[in-house]
Amino acid sequence: MSTAEIVVSQKHIVTALVQNESGTINRVVSLFRRRGFSLASFNAGDCEEPGLSRMTFIVEGDLSVVEQVLKQLIKLIDVVECSALPAETSVSRELALIRVQPTPAQRDSLYKLVLEFYGRTPGAQSDQIVVEYTGSVPEVEDVINALQPFNIVEIVRTGVVAMSL
Amino acid sequence: MESSTGNESQLRERSGAAVIMEALERHGIDTFFGYPGGVVLPLYDEMLNWPHVKHILVRHEQCAAHMADGYARATGRVGVCLATSGPGATNLVTGIANAMMDSIPMVCLTGNVNSWAIGKDAFQETDIQGITIPITKHNYLVTNVDDLPYVLAEAFYLANTGRKGPVLVDIPKDVLQKKTANPFPTEIKRRGYQLPPDPDPAQIAEAVAMIEAAQRPVLIAGAGVMWGEAFAELKTFAETNDIPVINSLLGLGTFPRDHELSLGMMGMHGEATGTLAVQAADLVIGIGARFDDRLTGDTKAFASNAKILHFDLDPAEVGKTVSPRAWVIGDVKATLGEINKLRTTQLSHPEWREQIRTWQAEYPLVVPEGKFLSRTVLRALNAHTNGEAIVATDVGQHQMWTAQFYKFKQPFNWMSSGGLGTMGFGFPAAIGAKFARPDDEVWAVVGDGGFQMTLQELQTAVEYGVNVKIALLNNGYLGMVRQWQELFYDNRYSSVAMGSPDFGKLAEAYGVKFFRCERTEDLDTTLEAARAHNGPVLCEFVVEMEENVYPMVPAGGSNSAVIMDPALTRVEPPEDVVASFETTHAPHHAPEPQLETAGANQ
Repeated sequence: MSTAEIVVSQKHIVTALVQNESGTINRVVSLFRRRGFSLASFNAGDCEEPGLSRMTFIVEGDLSVVEQVLKQLIKLIDVVECSALPAETSVSRELALIRVQPTPAQRDSLYKLVLEFYGRTPGAQSDQIVVEYTGSVPEVEDVINALQPFNIVEIVRTGVVAMSL
Repeated sequence: MESSTGNESQLRERSGAAVIMEALERHGIDTFFGYPGGVVLPLYDEMLNWPHVKHILVRHEQCAAHMADGYARATGRVGVCLATSGPGATNLVTGIANAMMDSIPMVCLTGNVNSWAIGKDAFQETDIQGITIPITKHNYLVTNVDDLPYVLAEAFYLANTGRKGPVLVDIPKDVLQKKTANPFPTEIKRRGYQLPPDPDPAQIAEAVAMIEAAQRPVLIAGAGVMWGEAFAELKTFAETNDIPVINSLLGLGTFPRDHELSLGMMGMHGEATGTLAVQAADLVIGIGARFDDRLTGDTKAFASNAKILHFDLDPAEVGKTVSPRAWVIGDVKATLGEINKLRTTQLSHPEWREQIRTWQAEYPLVVPEGKFLSRTVLRALNAHTNGEAIVATDVGQHQMWTAQFYKFKQPFNWMSSGGLGTMGFGFPAAIGAKFARPDDEVWAVVGDGGFQMTLQELQTAVEYGVNVKIALLNNGYLGMVRQWQELFYDNRYSSVAMGSPDFGKLAEAYGVKFFRCERTEDLDTTLEAARAHNGPVLCEFVVEMEENVYPMVPAGGSNSAVIMDPALTRVEPPEDVVASFETTHAPHHAPEPQLETAGANQ
């Protein structure tokens, strides 16, 4: 087994600025699929410039994989620029909405917990409460774990967005 | 969509269909290839007004793409094909994928259902943009006729600049009919698309230092040298630095095969000398070649004694399959030109060259006598045409033998389905090439399997009087598949013997001149008669059924374990190619060694 194969694959943040046209998202995501790049998370949205989008990818693999991802991405005509963001010089965040269904006896301790981790509860309907939390991926994971006792019904996550510092 | 406005003062309204014809004319397209259908009727109607932009009616859309591909490979210009929506568009897919793998400049036009019907599963609707995303350099769905002039100009620009490739433009029927006064842009501005950079002087300097330090250098020249038109620079570079030149399959013709530094093709069925040279080399320079798996074999064992230096305009090719020590990103013509400015004194590697001559003598390509072989035919075809014809092939044994035995001297004469390995490519590609270069001799070399995939284009050749010659090597098998079943599946032949129609009657039915040749004795007269006939000719060569291609590096195997032709007197490759070099020759500080070995054949 070569050293490349025993290196534990790591997660890397890749961002791309793309021109928004018919088929652009399809084209970008198709590249990951077709070349067998492992995509752990993907997010796209408007950015500071009309007509352009900024995308954030979490790519699993070693550095040579990330290098190929960047080289293949920039070949796409739609991609204006792309780069890998080192974790230590960038900020990355994810937003999660978690619907829980606590027992009546748990409700107070749920609200207390949400306050403790600086989450929010934007809405509730009958016996279900939506919890909103934004943080780094490990923090989101921690929050989800902490909410397990409150009977999680549904989870929605945005995927990571990231920016260099 | 960015649109820079042209400076034409008279903005006249014309239909989308007329915009397309105008775009073809503006880009010098004299001939394009297509097949009509419902949604492209407005364009076929408009064509009648543009008789100088000749539309060739094919018999299957796949062949329209292959003909456009052959047209491009024969000229270096953009080839254009056209199909209707739905099945017409999907029939192009193999041809587009073929062009993508081999970086061929093509613009593929497809009609689609009316823009308001898209997404409604209308009759003959298909998402050809979605289908072709992974197999095009870029593609478009144009839903507003005002965008069409810019999109078409950009499509031609993208197809034919940087690393070339096919670009597809999908145009709904109503966009063909609607009118626009928008002019064609005077320049293309696309933020996400940059032409290759000028070579970096630091990278050039590093390359020069590596070249000067090398004792056993070899070059691997690929098709990038052809598309970058860097033949003169390559020749100067190889000669000044005394470096033997190997070609990738698609790089054949970028360096004259009759040059003393030429070692021919390397790879799975490359000539043994090139394979051994790469394994023994201390420097391997890839130029416009992508080190594909059929060339490298096991990448871990590839060039295991060498530093690799890679010149390419596509940064994504650097480090994709092998790990070069250094590289230069840029147009290879510019890169070689810069190096040639710096590296002007003559280098010399006499011991290395001598070792190579020894290998050439020990492991030549052979054509055993006494049987009527595919190799017999191809050796003769090369001799009759002096290595100067345009030759197109499919994929398989006949392709490898053509690559081995046809001694290409010029670029743009060799068209073969390299990356995708498409059966049925050769004949339509040859037709496309003949349209592009009507004064040049064109041969399609095909097998009985591949020919039966696209032989309906005989009718196209007849109708347009295309003077293309077909050398059909009929061995009654899917030869390369049979070879693998023989060697790697214990002779268990499965669905590999293949019947054929009576090709003589077939040719007669189409009205094509026909010759059948079954013996070596008749070969010369057959080739002479075929070449003398003005019009399409089908030559069926009924060859030995179970002939194998050698040398052979089994898929994924090390190039050092190349299997030599059993017909050779010595079939074992040297145990250790570097050791064989070092034991054959005195160290470099010794006086000039006595190197008069027998059998040097170059």
